[in-house]
Amino acid sequence: MRKPLFHLVTILALAAGMLSIPVAAQGQPVRVAEFLAECPISHRLPDDPIVLPNLPGASHSHDFFGNHSTDARSTQQSLEGQRGNCNPNADISSYWVPTLYKDNNPIAPTIVTFYYLGEGVNNPAAIQPLPYGLKIVAGNAKATGDADSIARWSCLHAGQVNPSKNFVQCPAGTMLETYLDFPQCWNGRDLDSADHKSHMAYPVANACPSSHPVAVPKLRMVLRYPVNGSTSGLRLASGSGQTMHGDFFNVWPRSEMERRVRNCINVVIKCDHAGNQV
Amino acid sequence: MTALLLVGLLAACQQGPPPPPPPSPATTSQTGYGPTERAFVELAISTGEQAVKLVGLTGRDDLKRNRATELTELRKLLDAPYADNHAGHDMPGMPTDAEIALAATSEEARDQFVRAHLTESLEVLRSAKQAITHPPTAAVVELMERHRTEELAAG
Repeated sequence: MRKPLFHLVTILALAAGMLSIPVAAQGQPVRVAEFLAECPISHRLPDDPIVLPNLPGASHSHDFFGNHSTDARSTQQSLEGQRGNCNPNADISSYWVPTLYKDNNPIAPTIVTFYYLGEGVNNPAAIQPLPYGLKIVAGNAKATGDADSIARWSCLHAGQVNPSKNFVQCPAGTMLETYLDFPQCWNGRDLDSADHKSHMAYPVANACPSSHPVAVPKLRMVLRYPVNGSTSGLRLASGSGQTMHGDFFNVWPRSEMERRVRNCINVVIKCDHAGNQV
Repeated sequence: MTALLLVGLLAACQQGPPPPPPPSPATTSQTGYGPTERAFVELAISTGEQAVKLVGLTGRDDLKRNRATELTELRKLLDAPYADNHAGHDMPGMPTDAEIALAATSEEARDQFVRAHLTESLEVLRSAKQAITHPPTAAVVELMERHRTEELAAG
């Protein structure tokens, strides 16, 4: 239930001065199928337009990134034409995760990157654009331990700390970070499903299964939190670190998504925020 | 270069999947029991099951009776086997295991958590009341809202 501090529904927009732009040797394209969007926190609400649609105030707390208008009643129609805070600003998609708390104080991530990758399947040339309006949930909000979790926690600038499915203790001067890979095989038919998962699948042996034959870019969410030291007092609104999960509602303008898939993913080239070769 | 050739060869040898058919909307049964109703009922059962543990620590028969009645009515609405999607989460109106454990050791904490359960779940119900159109689900929402209002008035 609600803790006293949890009344902060409005949220601090965070400094955008932390954007890191990949640098490549001049004239040499980087042979990694990738484009990206960096979207700081936009707002915080106890809403979830996928899991608890049209029920404002009924969810655990979420940190929302990207589209400023996202709330419990959001639909593809309500999101399109709105503004967001992503770089590139063409991306007005919605992304959200459970709020992280330290001693019951909410902590917003200060570096938030969404990579779109061609890895994971053998044939990146066949990857198709993410369908407009697609909803994807990744991770297991109900995880009870390591066995049923795909969460990954590590420390930025402290590779000596082994990654874990639960929170890790990061050295002073470093940041706690978490990675989450979204499923990248679509059933070719549904933008959502009753359990919000079964319309998507992970590849098997680097190929999409026949039940979910359409390969789309793999969304990899990377969040960096201004937290280090002891993990005691750390929790997510969904529980332990193993319950880390992420939600994505695709509202990239079709032409922007198609251009990036064609110029970055299909040809295995690393692109910048604008979708141009670095 | 090898990678380029390989990509080209693969693209040439392997036909891409056929263009996907138009996507279908989220499912709503003919009776009007749709995604919002389904989400509300599952959330309310999860909340109710935790609340039963909390109110069991009190001497209030109204709370115990009303939670039990609501769970019976909510389960009748399910159109698929129930899965608790919210266990362990910090949901509005849902007492956590840690709160229930604390309530068992302190009357003050217990009364505070009972009140938080009632006021927060009333907010969720008022939200649900505006969104739910399926008449049998709306009737249970109304019943639950009436219960909360009476329970808060009773102390």
